[in-house]
Amino acid sequence: MFAKLRLGLLFILLLGLLTGLAVAQDAVSITVRCKASPPEEDWRCNNFASVEAEVEAELGIDIDLNLIQDNAGWGDYKNEFVLASEAGEAPDIILSGHEDIGAWAPAGFIIPLDDVIGMHSEFDDIVPSLWESHGYAGQIWGIPQDAEARPIFYSKLLLRDLGWSEEEIESLPDRVVAGEFTFDDMLATAEAAIDEGIVDSGNGWWHRPSNGPDFLYYYYGNGGEVLDMDGNLVVDREALVAAYELLGGAVASGVLRSDVIGLDWNEVWHPTVAQADTVLFAAGGTWNWPNWAINYVADKGGDAYLFENIGLTLIPAMGTGEAITLTHPLTYMISSGSENPDVALKLIAAITTSEHNNKHAIDSFHLGILNAQLESEAYADNRLLSSAHYMLDHTTALPNHPGWNAWSNAYFLGIQAVETGEADAAGAADIAIAQMENELGDGIMVR
Amino acid sequence: MLKHQAANSRRNALRSYLGAYGFMAPAGILVIVFFLIPVAIVLYLSVTNLASSNFTSDLAKMEFIGLKNYDTLFNDQFARKIFSNTIFYVLVTLSIFNVSLALIVSLLTTHIDRNAGFIFRAMWILPRITSPVVYILIWKRMIAEAPFGIINQFNELLGQPTYNYISTNPWVFVVVVNGFIGVSFGMIIFTSAIESIPKDLLNASLVDGSSRLQRIRFVILPLIRWPLLFVVTYQTLSLLTSFVEIQLLTDGGPGLYRTEVWSLTAYHRALSNYFGNAQWGYGSAFAVLLVLIGVVLAVIYMRVFRFDELIAEPRVEAL
Repeated sequence: MFAKLRLGLLFILLLGLLTGLAVAQDAVSITVRCKASPPEEDWRCNNFASVEAEVEAELGIDIDLNLIQDNAGWGDYKNEFVLASEAGEAPDIILSGHEDIGAWAPAGFIIPLDDVIGMHSEFDDIVPSLWESHGYAGQIWGIPQDAEARPIFYSKLLLRDLGWSEEEIESLPDRVVAGEFTFDDMLATAEAAIDEGIVDSGNGWWHRPSNGPDFLYYYYGNGGEVLDMDGNLVVDREALVAAYELLGGAVASGVLRSDVIGLDWNEVWHPTVAQADTVLFAAGGTWNWPNWAINYVADKGGDAYLFENIGLTLIPAMGTGEAITLTHPLTYMISSGSENPDVALKLIAAITTSEHNNKHAIDSFHLGILNAQLESEAYADNRLLSSAHYMLDHTTALPNHPGWNAWSNAYFLGIQAVETGEADAAGAADIAIAQMENELGDGIMVR
Repeated sequence: MLKHQAANSRRNALRSYLGAYGFMAPAGILVIVFFLIPVAIVLYLSVTNLASSNFTSDLAKMEFIGLKNYDTLFNDQFARKIFSNTIFYVLVTLSIFNVSLALIVSLLTTHIDRNAGFIFRAMWILPRITSPVVYILIWKRMIAEAPFGIINQFNELLGQPTYNYISTNPWVFVVVVNGFIGVSFGMIIFTSAIESIPKDLLNASLVDGSSRLQRIRFVILPLIRWPLLFVVTYQTLSLLTSFVEIQLLTDGGPGLYRTEVWSLTAYHRALSNYFGNAQWGYGSAFAVLLVLIGVVLAVIYMRVFRFDELIAEPRVEAL
């Protein structure tokens, strides 16, 4: 009797173990690594948790989803992926700037997606221009996660003090698009504000205080190119000099501070610009807006205060005569070490919908990546997004190239030289070109 | 018989050698594992074009490019400036803070009430035991421009002009911030050296009519010569390789590498890059030169300061 009972218990235990093993074997492990500024950008990773059950049901598998999300510095974040890839411990999905394709694709750390993108109809609706920044060596290597614009924020408060009518203030973005209000006009307006004592010298216009993608639009805006038709790195001296003349000239005329590079983002730059009462024009990014509303002007009314006192427009036309901006889409890439790239791509496809991307776009003021988002009620009703989405029609992007970091660091050296007065525009161009040639050798063509 | 004695003598000598090497082995293994092998790896990396775009940990798969990284480095238009910055930073911080101020603090705190001296020394150790990030955040808030910075708030209260100190005086703050950390090391060494001077020597000098200053000049300083030289040597090498506080405070700026030092450049090239494609090979070339400079300086210090004499057995013992 007891022997039979023991045998029965043993059988049940064995069955349980086997079932457990079977379930464990079916579970597909997917790790996603995201960088996000909390709380407004948390949907970058959290969206995956929203669709986990849906994908499990559709594929008939159990997914063991691990989300790793923090706000590490870009340099550390990128090195982490490189080292993890080499150690065979890379996450299945990595979210990073599209320009990393230029380094990670040739290194073999990520996989091309051309052959599998067509299997997911969700990707058909992605704004076509965004795919351009996801290519390298003729293939597509990532799926856009978000887009943004890098506009000029203008202080309505100070423009009113300068005597601008409400109609003039509200029509500024349209006049910029039409080329009626150029970069020179912006600088002249800033000079007038300084002359009339509305802003202090140096506070007519601020750009970002550290190296970053924004600076490239001064070069693009003057007709420069970074890649030629064959995908080789080039530098156009004329455009380089023009960009440096613009920046150096702004410092010389007192519109731009000579020490704006080096200001602390959080201690000085954001707290000053967000108040709208000190700096007339500031070159920033759309995502700055929710950051300001939450962290810097919440006591004054947050969003309402910003709408009342700050507007945003494209970068007014420079040498080319066209107003522009720059988009730096973050992109989901699939690691070459992933054992389940199909499941990873399915998860990415599942969050590439208006419903999910709108949550990120609205909370963080990043622009939508899908045409359908423009038609969705949540996106269209959002005053901020609807006022900025048109910027994607005027956008430019960084190149995807392994030599881009050397190019951009050299370009930034020239900016520092001309703004601190250590060189004039031509001298700054010499510095930048010499640096590019020394580090890139035959990999750069000076035109 | 003679043969037997000779064998015994050889055995004793061998035992003596083995004993010495046995005692040195733990330290020797640490030096090999944590210095010599890493240096050899970095040396090898410096003759490859290793970057994020071709990264591999397999030494055999790395592309050998000879001395190209060194050629690029020596042709870099800012290498000389960065090198000069490094020399300036080490010399000024070392002479003003790590040695002079450390000595002054030690002398002052050993000439006042013992408990009071302890409290003052404890205060000087605070910068050393504070996390660099927190420490620099405090400094940044102190020197931020008006209306955010504490110093500038006082300037405003006093009707004085305000400044963006990081822009106007970056070196002052780089040196001061690092110097305040560096004082503690020398202070501890000097204090213990001063405290260990026999009291009868110190009292005898006073009985002989010397003033306190004369006692410092003619009794204390000569007796702490060895700790002084040790601190100079150690802190020189330490400053050569330190960059965390500079990175957090100015990141080598403002302008064209105004406060960039050699070790920070090595870090910037090899391990940190805003646009991702870190240049491990090129950064290693900077690191190798830093190791070379450190080794050369260490040898020079040992020769000039005659370290062998300083650590030799006292002559009275030798007799």
